[in-house]
Amino acid sequence: MTPRFSARSQVAIVGYAQSPIVRHAAVPLGALALDTALAAIADAGLTKDDIDGFTTGSLLPTSGSHASVDGVSIVTANWLAEQLGINPRFCAGFQGFGQIPGSVTMAVNALATGAADYVVLHRALHNPPKGRYHGNPMTHAPGAMQWTAPQGYFGPLTMIALPYNEYLQRYHASRDAMAAVLVEARANGSRIPWSYWHERPITAQDYLDARVIADPIGVLDCDIPVDGVAAFILTRADRARDLPNRPVYVAGYAMGSPRRPRLPVHWPLDDIMEAGFEVARRLEEASGLSLREVDVPQLYDGFSPFVYFWLEALGICPVGEAHRFVQDGGIRTDGGVPILSGGGALGNGRMHGVPQMLECYLQLAQRAGERQLPSASIGLACHSSPHFGGAVMYSAEPL
Amino acid sequence: MSDVSEVAGKPIPVPDAQSAGYWTAAAEHVLALARCGRCDRFTHPPGVVCPHCLSTDPAFVFVPVDGRGTVRSWTVVRDSFLPGFAADVPFVLVDVELDVQADLRLVGRLADGPDAPLHQGDRVVTVFDDLAPGVAVPAFALEAAS
Repeated sequence: MTPRFSARSQVAIVGYAQSPIVRHAAVPLGALALDTALAAIADAGLTKDDIDGFTTGSLLPTSGSHASVDGVSIVTANWLAEQLGINPRFCAGFQGFGQIPGSVTMAVNALATGAADYVVLHRALHNPPKGRYHGNPMTHAPGAMQWTAPQGYFGPLTMIALPYNEYLQRYHASRDAMAAVLVEARANGSRIPWSYWHERPITAQDYLDARVIADPIGVLDCDIPVDGVAAFILTRADRARDLPNRPVYVAGYAMGSPRRPRLPVHWPLDDIMEAGFEVARRLEEASGLSLREVDVPQLYDGFSPFVYFWLEALGICPVGEAHRFVQDGGIRTDGGVPILSGGGALGNGRMHGVPQMLECYLQLAQRAGERQLPSASIGLACHSSPHFGGAVMYSAEPL
Repeated sequence: MSDVSEVAGKPIPVPDAQSAGYWTAAAEHVLALARCGRCDRFTHPPGVVCPHCLSTDPAFVFVPVDGRGTVRSWTVVRDSFLPGFAADVPFVLVDVELDVQADLRLVGRLADGPDAPLHQGDRVVTVFDDLAPGVAVPAFALEAAS
């Protein structure tokens, strides 16, 4: 099949750095971002002077009343370029959902068109030191919030609880089935040195015993807010060949969004799946590959139900079957489809799409160490909900 | 329904040009939804464009509607991130498809309490939570129990 994406295999990831993922970093987020970016540049065999492009999605993903302060609680592409003393040819932030696929898209487009030669793509996530992460003492609800907050419908937990319960009821599933997802994510995360959950696996009983916050969502269905930064270096394939690491090529990307406006945080299950199926179709169309060829699928799990939604949207298991699929060992890294081999968000902390991209890179570059999968040729990194995020396909060899 | 003195601190809706008709009706315990003056279809929440006919001058009229509907999903909120609801947890939010138009969905509190047995397809009616003098927000109650 001819790929729709004409820049297939023209752009590659050539280096990375990942900071330790901690609840609260000892240094300001901007300092962590700068150090991580420099580490990624060095990892790619480059120097700061080579870099002429920057991109990120800088969103602080909280519904709490925390200020977005550049260099402190968020780190924009412009801030990072400025602090590094670089006047880049290309510098832009992604504003939509799915910050990682969105910024990969921007980096790839800039590189493929010659707008930049070496791009730093970073993502900086912050856990505010004061107040609850999603806590918001609002006493008045203007704008979009007027439709939801006055009835106590607020924040991402109720956002995900409604479609998740819709799923459980429709397919006669039990929330207990999700224990298999958490056990797998944490088992893999426990083997990752930078993970917040390093050496801290959990049992199914730990999951079942955890506090429920908005039925059927419990505290362990949510990734934990953290301070952490990751950075990747991307360049064109012709330049990548001269660099020390094995390049990992961008094979295609796709996004989707719901067809109709909804109440804030209202994500009906059918909206999620309808757009998700379309994202899956677009991925195949863009890359010219079948999703069946993907051997390193990394599904987004910032809230655990996204794992079910992505499994079904991508056709890894039939619709309505994900809860059985995970219980039957379907996602076990040893013997199943390794959708959480990189630990995901549940096994690393709230790095918002980074663990999925990073695992694709590490596996396809043969840099995953003791976690290296026997087969790692085509990767797929998903982010956010199937109806709002997006996904990027990678290949170990140019296609 | 909650006593008004207990609910101090809940977010009070701030009506604007797009929403004033909705809140004025709600204060009288009437569910009035925005109907496009061009294509006659309902939209919630109403924005600057009608999502059905794409009119940029939708001339929305707030029309009282039958508040009955069908439960599509629900959640029991046991820990609210809005401090004004701390005394109300646990409470139930129901995701309701209104009878008045296919796929017209509202999310509101369920008046029947956290232990009410719920199923997809259960029938509900619109009721109202009084938040403050002159301010009420639509909620739901199970039809059989009302």
